Amino acid sequence: MIIRLLAIILLPSALALSAPNLVPAADAPFDKVANEVNNKTVKLFGSGGFKGLTSYGTGIVVSPQGHILTVANQLLDTQDLRVHLADGRRFRAKVLYTEPELSAALIVIKQDEKEPVTLDLEYFDIPAAVKKLKSEPGDWVLAFSNAFQIATRDEPMTIQRAVISAYAKLVARRGIFEAPYHGEVFFFDGIFSNPGSAGGPVTTRKGELIGMIGQEYRNVASDTWINFALPVNAKVEVKDGDKIRIISLEELIVDGIKGTYKYIKRDKSKEGPGAYTGIVFVPNILPQTPPYVDRVVPQSPAHKSKLQPDDLVVYVDGEPVYSIQAFKDLLAKLVPGTKIQLEVRRGEKLTAIEMEVADFPK
Amino acid sequence: MKRISILLGSFCLSLVAGLLASWSPSSQLAADNLQSAKLTEADRVKVINKVKPSVVAVYARGGGGGGSGVLIDPEGYALTNFHVVQPTGPTMQCGLPNGVLYDAVLVGLDKVGDVALIKLIPKKPGDKFPFAELANSDEVKAGDWSLAMGNPFLLATDFTPSVSYGLVSGVNRYQYPSGGFLEYTDCIQFDTTINPGNSGGPLFNMKGQLIGINGRGSFAQDKRFRINCGVGYAISINQIKNFMGHFRAGIETDHATLGASIASASEDGDLNKMVVSSVLEESDAFRRGIVESDQLNSFAARPLTSVNQYKNILGIFPRDWRMPLVYTRGNDRKETLVRLMGYQPALEKKDGPQPEPMPKIDPKIIGKKDAGPQGEGAKFYKAKKGFANYYFNEQAQKRVLEGFAKHGDFSSLRGDWVLGGSYEKDKRPGPFTASITEKKVVGSDKDTRTVVNANINIDFILEPLKSKQEEKDLMVPPYSGGFLMALYHWNRFLTLGPKGFDTENGFLHGGVEPIYVQPMTGDEVKSFARIRVMAEVIRTEYAGVTGKWYFYRPELNPTLQEKTKYKDYELIAFEIFVAPDVDPCEVYLHDSKEVDGRLLPGKIEVRHGDKRYVTLEIKDYKLAK
Repeated sequence: MIIRLLAIILLPSALALSAPNLVPAADAPFDKVANEVNNKTVKLFGSGGFKGLTSYGTGIVVSPQGHILTVANQLLDTQDLRVHLADGRRFRAKVLYTEPELSAALIVIKQDEKEPVTLDLEYFDIPAAVKKLKSEPGDWVLAFSNAFQIATRDEPMTIQRAVISAYAKLVARRGIFEAPYHGEVFFFDGIFSNPGSAGGPVTTRKGELIGMIGQEYRNVASDTWINFALPVNAKVEVKDGDKIRIISLEELIVDGIKGTYKYIKRDKSKEGPGAYTGIVFVPNILPQTPPYVDRVVPQSPAHKSKLQPDDLVVYVDGEPVYSIQAFKDLLAKLVPGTKIQLEVRRGEKLTAIEMEVADFPK
Repeated sequence: MKRISILLGSFCLSLVAGLLASWSPSSQLAADNLQSAKLTEADRVKVINKVKPSVVAVYARGGGGGGSGVLIDPEGYALTNFHVVQPTGPTMQCGLPNGVLYDAVLVGLDKVGDVALIKLIPKKPGDKFPFAELANSDEVKAGDWSLAMGNPFLLATDFTPSVSYGLVSGVNRYQYPSGGFLEYTDCIQFDTTINPGNSGGPLFNMKGQLIGINGRGSFAQDKRFRINCGVGYAISINQIKNFMGHFRAGIETDHATLGASIASASEDGDLNKMVVSSVLEESDAFRRGIVESDQLNSFAARPLTSVNQYKNILGIFPRDWRMPLVYTRGNDRKETLVRLMGYQPALEKKDGPQPEPMPKIDPKIIGKKDAGPQGEGAKFYKAKKGFANYYFNEQAQKRVLEGFAKHGDFSSLRGDWVLGGSYEKDKRPGPFTASITEKKVVGSDKDTRTVVNANINIDFILEPLKSKQEEKDLMVPPYSGGFLMALYHWNRFLTLGPKGFDTENGFLHGGVEPIYVQPMTGDEVKSFARIRVMAEVIRTEYAGVTGKWYFYRPELNPTLQEKTKYKDYELIAFEIFVAPDVDPCEVYLHDSKEVDGRLLPGKIEVRHGDKRYVTLEIKDYKLAK
């Protein structure tokens, strides 16, 4: 009897617990949730602005002192990364850690060393969000982002809604580049992935963080664009030297904020055989030496594709290449025999060049 | 036993959840979940059924292309996008969900705002149409639910609209112009699906009220072409309301600029200050004393914090509207009224991604591109430069004149006018007289010259039609902006009506504009919004002098009705501009009373620039007897 009474008293909160599964009432708008989440979200402005790659993006505040979680992409590849807080304040930011295995990065607001400001920002508590996570296919979710750079300064983020359509492993690519993260993600039936959306929070109807909107990728099997989010509890098994290690988004953030996140020892052989182009670049003296062609090895793929000295390689398959190192990193992932599209700046013009990369000469 | 432990387990969870999630009083018993969902669904269906009859499928005549629209009153007026009617020409055809295809005609146009008002022609004169109620779109918030309806991909051959349901994603959004036109200011962003053919269709709130007109979307290049990307935009209905008076008068409207450019003043960290970077000398802002480096705090009672906000706020008003501006210079905070200049669709450098108009489906009008007005709609169409459809301007002029004529017929009062009473100027009172008389020209039997006299402590005289007078000669008394000229035009307006003004564009309906009626006590105005009266405007021009005549309409001032004694179509104020780009003489008519069966003001306030020139009490009207 007592139990039954308790059941009656407690049922309403049980309902609150299962609320994400409910069809929302027509008179229950999300304006309050939109405000709450917006305050924990930032607009990012960095590098990009060409070839469909945006110079703007979205980030999730994960600490009161201004640590921000976002996706690891070209946007962060700049000395002049800027953050617009929800209240309109603008700051510079710097990258603390990027973890390609998770497609995630942790950045932090740069403070004036002489006059640091106490930010005391509203933020998402990631360990708490990981503990609470129980979303599943069929649940309503909300996504927040600065898609299409609609908002600047204190203008609020775009709020969108969708249903989780699947929880499955990510096998996706953009151009020839495969998504580096292969763990589980949430897929949605709504169009969350637009230019600038990546890095935005996906929450339950109550504004509880469940994941981060991923980059714009296509499904490898169907070649259609997908809409997905990296779950807050994302983890992957990776080879760390000789050992197997599990790295997680939570670890990246918790240790990252403390400054103690440890990168894995990368096994070069994992990245495939790599491929040969026959391009000899100018001496790589700076960390960001631009990929200028110094000379071309006779009879090499570069020679056959009529690449010339002084050409500047700007894109490889639509991906911008900022440095000689970036070019080499891309090449390392390729298999001999792959055809790639280069765009090089020759004089004042961009020239498109197709090249079939080859085996390294014996 | 096992069962109980599970239950208990869930109790603990419930307790935790109840503490974590603030318990919502609207929560219902779990057993009611399905019931609740069903009720919600039933409500939604009810709303959809309520608004559905007002949704219009717009087609170019002969079919082959079109978009969507929505009826907003029983006479058949409907809103759609400019970019929907652009290829159809001034006449089009409209299908309603009742399966009937109507002829329709363009009424009003806003190319910059991408809005068009059209009118469906009833099958029988007097037939009424179903229509949608207009919302107050300032109350729409990001996170609200919305319904988009229309005819995507022109799917419905029986004109039954498609419905989609989604969230409002953002409000007060600014979207750059696309090719000079189609600038979406202060618009509503939503994830509710719209596709080609939805253009011009309604966005409803969940009460079934119209909150906006769908017209544009952001599209990811190379990804989905112009197919829904989850980012659509609607022109807010509140913006459209500001232009509605112009639309109904057949006007091709223009948007506004302040005549000043502004820039963001602050560097990193600080909150934004908007500061004037330059002012055009011919602008009213310049005449109001706005100078470089003044900080703009608010415009039309909305705070200015970003360039987008500034464009948003300006973008919702038609040109020539007068709105309050608050600015700070040093430590001084001032509020002033500024008349907005016309918007030049300067092809600004397009920074930022360009959202594109949700494409209408282009009609195949090869070979009959300039077909001109056709069908029933053609009977209600008259082309004229500056107008979407001059027919509706003529109708509006007629309506205002007929309404005004109920307050007295002045046409028989050609001849000398003498006004007598008292004045108060700078707190000093005295007797006031004025007259408008025809005097013989010396040496001629027939020719006369018009002379306007006024005595306000000093005698002033004006011959309004004498040639070769300079601006300042016409603006007597000094600092009045031309009160004698104003008296003369008032006389012409009352006694001659349209015949008293230039034949070409001398007498037009100017849509709806705000006018600010200051208290006769001379007390400082704390809020311009409170003294704002919306009025129908007649614009006149005679011999280079232009006038604006403001007529009170109760339905334009729903919140004022209780407070004002104005009658419907009463002339409450007029402004006379003796030259372009100068401040007009503003004449406010107070305490109207009947004089020989004609409504005339008992008191008059004359203003110029930001200041009161004089107040008059007219005790004696001797009008041409």
